[in-house]
Amino acid sequence: MSDGNVLDNADRRDFLGKATAAVGAAGVAAACWPFISSMNPSTDTLEKATTEVDISGIAPGQAQTVSWGGKPVFVVHRTAAQIDAMKNSQGGHDPQADAERAKNPEWLVVVGVCTHMGCIPSKNDDGWLCPCHGSVYDNSGRILHGPAPKNLAVPPVKFVSAEKIVIGEV
Amino acid sequence: MVSRVLGWIDQRFPLTPFIKHELTDYPTPRNLSYWWNFGFLAGFVLVLQIATGIFLAMYYKPDVNLAFDSVQHIMRDVNYGWLLRYIHSSGASAFFVVIYVHMARTLYYASYHKPRELMWWTGQGLMLLIMATAFMGYLLPWGQMSYWGAQVITNLFGVTPFFGDKIVLWLRGDFSVGDATLTRFFALHYLFPFLICGAVVIHLVALHTVKSSNPSGISLADKDNIPFHPYFTIKDFFGLGIYLIIFCAFVFFRPGAFIEAANNIPANPLVTPPHIEPEWYFLPFYAILRAIPDMLGGVVAMALSVLIFAILPFADRTGIPGGAHFRPAYRIMFYLFVVDVLILGYVGSQPPLGFVVPLGQVATFVYFGTFFLLPFISKWEERWMRARGLPPELLALFEQRPPREKLPREEVAK
Amino acid sequence: MKRWLVFMSCYLAFNAWGEAELPLNKIEVATDLPTLERGAETVMTVCVGCHSLKYIRFRELSKLGIAADKVDGWRGSNPMGTPVASQMPAEAAMASFGKAPPDLSLMAKAREGEADYIYSYLLGYYTTPEGTTGNHYYPATKMPDILAVAGVTDSTQHAQLEQKAREVASFLSWAADPHAQERKALGYYVLGYLVVFTTMLYFLKQKIWSKLDRA
Repeated sequence: MSDGNVLDNADRRDFLGKATAAVGAAGVAAACWPFISSMNPSTDTLEKATTEVDISGIAPGQAQTVSWGGKPVFVVHRTAAQIDAMKNSQGGHDPQADAERAKNPEWLVVVGVCTHMGCIPSKNDDGWLCPCHGSVYDNSGRILHGPAPKNLAVPPVKFVSAEKIVIGEV
Repeated sequence: MVSRVLGWIDQRFPLTPFIKHELTDYPTPRNLSYWWNFGFLAGFVLVLQIATGIFLAMYYKPDVNLAFDSVQHIMRDVNYGWLLRYIHSSGASAFFVVIYVHMARTLYYASYHKPRELMWWTGQGLMLLIMATAFMGYLLPWGQMSYWGAQVITNLFGVTPFFGDKIVLWLRGDFSVGDATLTRFFALHYLFPFLICGAVVIHLVALHTVKSSNPSGISLADKDNIPFHPYFTIKDFFGLGIYLIIFCAFVFFRPGAFIEAANNIPANPLVTPPHIEPEWYFLPFYAILRAIPDMLGGVVAMALSVLIFAILPFADRTGIPGGAHFRPAYRIMFYLFVVDVLILGYVGSQPPLGFVVPLGQVATFVYFGTFFLLPFISKWEERWMRARGLPPELLALFEQRPPREKLPREEVAK
Repeated sequence: MKRWLVFMSCYLAFNAWGEAELPLNKIEVATDLPTLERGAETVMTVCVGCHSLKYIRFRELSKLGIAADKVDGWRGSNPMGTPVASQMPAEAAMASFGKAPPDLSLMAKAREGEADYIYSYLLGYYTTPEGTTGNHYYPATKMPDILAVAGVTDSTQHAQLEQKAREVASFLSWAADPHAQERKALGYYVLGYLVVFTTMLYFLKQKIWSKLDRA
């Protein structure tokens, strides 16, 4: 028995009950956030997102392995001959142009984890050979033959100066 | 939809009947005051401590070389790590505030009497588990006070005749508090809260068997019970809101209130801080420990001061229900006891010099004296009250059952 | 009367034993960036000569808002993630002072009085009749009078030193608790929410309980 314009007691309490429950639920959800957020990488771990590499000591034909986010990364200073050979091929069963993979052709930076089962390939003159199951990669890190399905991954790289590159981005 | 799912479950598991019987329709005295909120609050603090504790354990390292640094890592680098840590450290103190008020409510209304003796004893078991958990947890940050507090207290077990030294060695796993001690305290600190959860379940099963006592001190008729939901669910949540306001004021604006300055210094086995004192919630017991000059006597007195609460259902020999509500002498004893515990707390916080020493000894005497006098005072008080004439509510109750004993005057008058 | 005298002398003796012989000079800890920057400047150029701040990395100084060139100046060739180390190796410190200078990251929390203590201590040096320096607040200190406070009589000069001490105490307060500002800001929101929510709970409780004995 209610006047159409005014809520009677029962409706008013119901509204208060529903509103309180909603405000409470929002509070509980907000209270969960710090717990969930705490499991994300801490501020010092986030620094591992990028790795600075001093490339001034790497002569042409040489390569250096650095750690980036816990993974090995090959930094290769390619010779002119190697660059030419790579420019003129598309790789193996995962074709990709060399220019896409090495924006600065003198330097190839690839993640040193075989795309088959995750072993670290060994360097040779023509590229890499994975000792675990025999995958063969060229000097652009592209899979030529073997069980690995894809080319070696290319991380984001910034050439900060002639002596320094930064792998990864914040 | 929901009712269909529930119906499916109910055919296989007594979910809705259980919730109805133990929560929604559960009969509760209508006159419960806010002093009855503290059991629920204790449960809430337990859950929050376990939650924050588990997330802290994701970053804490229980190794003497890493522990202090790992706590700083949590405070500075982990997202909201500072918040988790402060909730956990403040929560430990909050736990004891809530528990002590909860116990005080039981003492005031003498709810430990038949049929609630098991509630009292399971509650005591819970308190011992919580004290052990807090003591072990305090070592984990590996600060100066953490280390030296653990060193002093583990030393005390050496008073055990014959095996004292072996026991201390066994407890510590090392000649003094060291890495072995830290690791095992961490393992047990993580375990005990789950033992506490089990003990809480037993405590609640006991409660649901005998039902809540109430501030009037006498059992109410069934018509005076109301369903737990919605009356006491909303009252518990409101009480929780008030509690959270006070708790969050500490966590966000005075988080250092419960962290000793000396604990911001990494533990150094070669340097003792100027005074070693436990956290505030252990101070009265610490005062009793120091009040007895002999070490074995002090340890025995301290242990007794915690365990002696167990005798209350027997020591309090009154036939008058309701505790301090009806009984004037008991009420005075209660308030005296509370003041005495506060004095002991003060004594425990001060270096044992000057007037503090005799004050602590007097307060210890009063503490144990209360328990020893209670059997006599309770009996005398009942006699005195009956001679004066009992209040009408009690008379009505006693009409239904005979008085516990005939008073000599009644015998003579006959 | 005799017992009262005994009691009072015990009481006074006990009080004299107390925490600090001298009451601390209280300051209002600054949280604004310019003061913290000046405090950082003093700490990084003067204090770090002997003290480390192992829980503060250079990156945190730049995140605080201190200019990149200042931070770079202090860290030299060390990467941003390096903790602030003391310039004096431990053995040299032991030889000069007999005790390793303590790390300062938590100093603002590790002493009763916190920032007030640091401020009072830095300004608490005085010249003894024998000509050496002592400190009112920590007589056993091996640390020299780093701000050159002892013997300063000129009030303007002393005011400058007080300013400097306040900057250092404020910076060390930040170093001990970098999340303090964030914590308090969040605290206002949380308490605001809780006050609103608890009020709603209160009215809901009243409504529900008014139903009793009325249905």
